Amino acid sequence: MTIFIKTTPVAYTHYAVQPRIGMHHGMEIALSFEGDSTEKAHKQVLAVTDVSCFARFGIKGPKAADWLNQQGIKTPEVMNAWVEGAPNTLVLRLGGSEFLVEDQAQGKACEALTSFDQASTTGAYQVARSDAAFILGGREVLNLLSELCMLDLRDSAWPSHGVVMTQVAGISATLIRESLAGEQVYRIWCDGTYGSYLWEVLTEIAQELGGGAVGLICRFQ
Amino acid sequence: MKLLNCPMNGVRPLSEFLFGGEFREMPNPDASTDLEWASYVHYRDNAPGIKKEWWYHSPSGTWFIAERNTLTDEVLATYLHGNSPVSKVKEPS
Repeated sequence: MTIFIKTTPVAYTHYAVQPRIGMHHGMEIALSFEGDSTEKAHKQVLAVTDVSCFARFGIKGPKAADWLNQQGIKTPEVMNAWVEGAPNTLVLRLGGSEFLVEDQAQGKACEALTSFDQASTTGAYQVARSDAAFILGGREVLNLLSELCMLDLRDSAWPSHGVVMTQVAGISATLIRESLAGEQVYRIWCDGTYGSYLWEVLTEIAQELGGGAVGLICRFQ
Repeated sequence: MKLLNCPMNGVRPLSEFLFGGEFREMPNPDASTDLEWASYVHYRDNAPGIKKEWWYHSPSGTWFIAERNTLTDEVLATYLHGNSPVSKVKEPS
């Protein structure tokens, strides 16, 4: 019998640096790259964390918001915005009628959404998600983003719960800004096939600016 | 930097968009003559002027209509198909 192990979309870029690997939401993910003190120092300056392992659920259609609401998930009232739709679960409204639901480290909402039955649902359609997803934090994060994105991503130019779909390092990506354990961080999602490329670009610039890759443990300590 | 106003996402660099060709109203395929249908499919006069065009914002997957003066490259309005023109954005000089 063949056993398939789900790996992060950026797994191939990790092989060279041999991070400590663990399982989260059924996916192999980097728990740490370097010693605790080094990662903590990077977190202060500029840290890139792979969170592709978080569970996700995509849905679109004119009745998508109604269906999510019926499952007890709150949805943003305006386009291109996000809310915490359930405890530890983000809900992003991508345009008018498409939603991305993502459990955070302790979130549980996506598990229940897998009960979605297309045959008995009209006006809502499940969207397969295969994102690479990252968290960027640290005092140099805006310097990194200014090298990769043409938009002004400073607080003053971006509503606090706004969703931005733009290009980052030349590829399509979705961004939000959120507060994580009191720290302002940026979230980036891109198609999984671009994951390795974006990870390489982000970590290379992070290292130039004095930071680096940080594993899941340090990020959520 | 040239800019274009996506009706769903706001003003973005032109590099985020793809051109989707001229928008033209399709005649009823069941009621049109062969000449009308052939004209719709094949005929383009290519005269410069204000044209309706399909444009695509690739990061969000949004198709929309832009009214563009093909002589001056000035975009007069952008809007979702089926909606009225609501935004008139001029590129900064």
